[in-house]
Amino acid sequence: MATQIVMDRTGDTRHYFDAMDPQALLKAEERFKELTHVGFTAAVRTSSGEAAVTRTFNPTAEETLFFPRLVGG
Amino acid sequence: MFRLLPDIANDCLRGFRTQDARRSQALRNWFQAFALPNVREARGLELLREWLSPEQLAQYDANSYFDVTGCDSGKRYRICHGTAMNVYEIDFAGNPRNGWCFVPNAPLVAGDVMLAQKIALETDERGALVVAKNFMPTASAFRQHCSPTPTR
Repeated sequence: MATQIVMDRTGDTRHYFDAMDPQALLKAEERFKELTHVGFTAAVRTSSGEAAVTRTFNPTAEETLFFPRLVGG
Repeated sequence: MFRLLPDIANDCLRGFRTQDARRSQALRNWFQAFALPNVREARGLELLREWLSPEQLAQYDANSYFDVTGCDSGKRYRICHGTAMNVYEIDFAGNPRNGWCFVPNAPLVAGDVMLAQKIALETDERGALVVAKNFMPTASAFRQHCSPTPTR
């Protein structure tokens, strides 16, 4: 199962979906667009374990992490 | 006498229900006040731990901070456990040179904040520093902030 992890006030919310299911994939892509549209940054982990920011939905990503826009504290 | 039993039983049950409701409310209040924040904190730390490199995780477990390398400048930053004013640019000896304050614009737990800061510095250092406010770290504040404390 692929996962989209969204940071929020509960810690995080995880959305699991079957990447082989076209409907689930479509829904995941919509979620990706909605979150990045409102300022979330999407990050994935590369095969070497490093984090990489992604601007477009990657249907093969096992795990995508979303965190809110950063601002000066 | 037996005809009165249902009424007596109902009175007793009403009492139990009232007590149960009070107990449930007390439990709910306790959970929201004390347990829930801990659950959130724990979830945030769990996520952070999943995304730290093995070296960073070992460092965090030992010291409650971890170091990252900025992707653009190659500078080293120390992210200390916290939710604000917890990022320090450090020199090769590990001394603070500058403090940087940037956080997600939503109320998040420490683990989430530190993870967002790590990813930002490792993938878009310039972008993170453009929004960040810098501060001059004092040696005592740095020591206090980045001193080993239990995090697990």
